[in-house]
Amino acid sequence: MNEEAPDIVGAWLHAYEEDTDTTAVYHPEDYPFRPSRRPRRGMDFHADGTFVEWVPGPDDRPREVAGRWARQETDRIRVTFPEGQGEPFDLTVVSREGDTLSFARGERQ
Amino acid sequence: MIDEPEFTEPLARELCGTMPVHRRLLNESMAYRAQRSAIENQATQYRLGGRRISRSGTISIPVVVHVVHNTDEQNISDGQIYSQIEILNQDFRAANPDVTQVPPVWQPLVADTMIEFHLATRNPNGDPTDGIIRVRTTRSSFSHHDDAVKSSATGGADPWPSDQYLNMWVCQLRGGLLGYAQFPGGPPDTDGVVIRHSAFGNMGTVAQPFHLGRTATHEVGHWLNLYHIWGDDGQGCSGDDKVADTPNQGGGNTGMPTFPHISCNNGPNGDMFMNYMDYTDDAGMMMFTTGQSTRMNACLEGPRASFLIPQLARVGGPEERTVAAASAGGPRVSGNGSQRELEQLLQEVLKDTRAALSVISGSR
Ligand SMILES: [Zn+2]
Repeated sequence: MNEEAPDIVGAWLHAYEEDTDTTAVYHPEDYPFRPSRRPRRGMDFHADGTFVEWVPGPDDRPREVAGRWARQETDRIRVTFPEGQGEPFDLTVVSREGDTLSFARGERQ
Repeated sequence: MIDEPEFTEPLARELCGTMPVHRRLLNESMAYRAQRSAIENQATQYRLGGRRISRSGTISIPVVVHVVHNTDEQNISDGQIYSQIEILNQDFRAANPDVTQVPPVWQPLVADTMIEFHLATRNPNGDPTDGIIRVRTTRSSFSHHDDAVKSSATGGADPWPSDQYLNMWVCQLRGGLLGYAQFPGGPPDTDGVVIRHSAFGNMGTVAQPFHLGRTATHEVGHWLNLYHIWGDDGQGCSGDDKVADTPNQGGGNTGMPTFPHISCNNGPNGDMFMNYMDYTDDAGMMMFTTGQSTRMNACLEGPRASFLIPQLARVGGPEERTVAAASAGGPRVSGNGSQRELEQLLQEVLKDTRAALSVISGSR
């Protein structure tokens, strides 16, 4: 248990309009997001290590992709898809302040 | 952070309990895939010209609007609902005033789909209705990953029979989602479209830039089997919307692009971002193509033929009043299709329906 590790458990949606050059910004899914025609990507980190990624589906309904997540270091998260539904990826947590979670911009934006 | 082992035991127990559910969903998804494949084969016959649309008149699809509201504001007015129906009728008939903004090079592709919509006048019991259901809910919003709005048991409203009515649920959606649809071939009890109240119609609670009712036009396009114009492959150039006259394009466009917007070597004209099936703002989309119209009408002669059959039965015969009543205030066909054409279509449709049924039962 690492006291410095920000808690990321929960369901988060991408507030792409708040992204900066270096960070991708997420809020909890019940945050009052601005309407967006492109459905927002999302990530749901469960406490038991399971993970669900939401990607825009062909009927505009986010499609769920199930995987697992694990903390590598204090700020490094590894996401894998054991059932082969996607390539593994890494996330770097920049900060968690209240209802704002920021990752370093990467392949998942 | 809680360590994983604490969760191992309850998780394992829960997994056992959910196994039959998992198996059921898997079987359903296999049946769904078989259904979608049969539907695609039917659509392909029309696309390649092996079959032609039999109907020459218009069809009007009965709509029931379920307004599921948590606040008085979300309980949108009748006027806001009427405005949406009118917009659908303009957009699907290429009667929208902004159709003139389609770039000249694509004007010849602008299609009148001959599909219209009206609020249902008869409920499933055959009683008169205004086609609007209003339900108060304790849910402040509906999430994008369940269909809670579609069932009274989960704070929403139950659908009317989805083979006779186009169900539209209007509610507050979470995550800024404007709406979502269900393709033909999916479960009947969730069939229809869901639209955010602030993107429904063009008055009342609507908010820019989704204030011209185009969300419903787009979602009903999906309901009639249209795919996104870029082919749903992210930013790639290999995706296909199964429509020949829409240019290949990279990803979806948002906002208000300016013509031409080039991607995937599709110059000089570039992306058809003004198509209803792109992701542009309401004021930036204004056309369906002929190919898309054919695909939607193929859907009405295939997986959604239940909307055509009562109308075919009504045409001409002395029983038309009775049949019309039995069809739950149903769809109306008008125009000059000959009786023989219609009978021929009815036979085709019945053949397809039987084929689709054998697909379902065969995969169980
Ligand atoms: Zn869509």
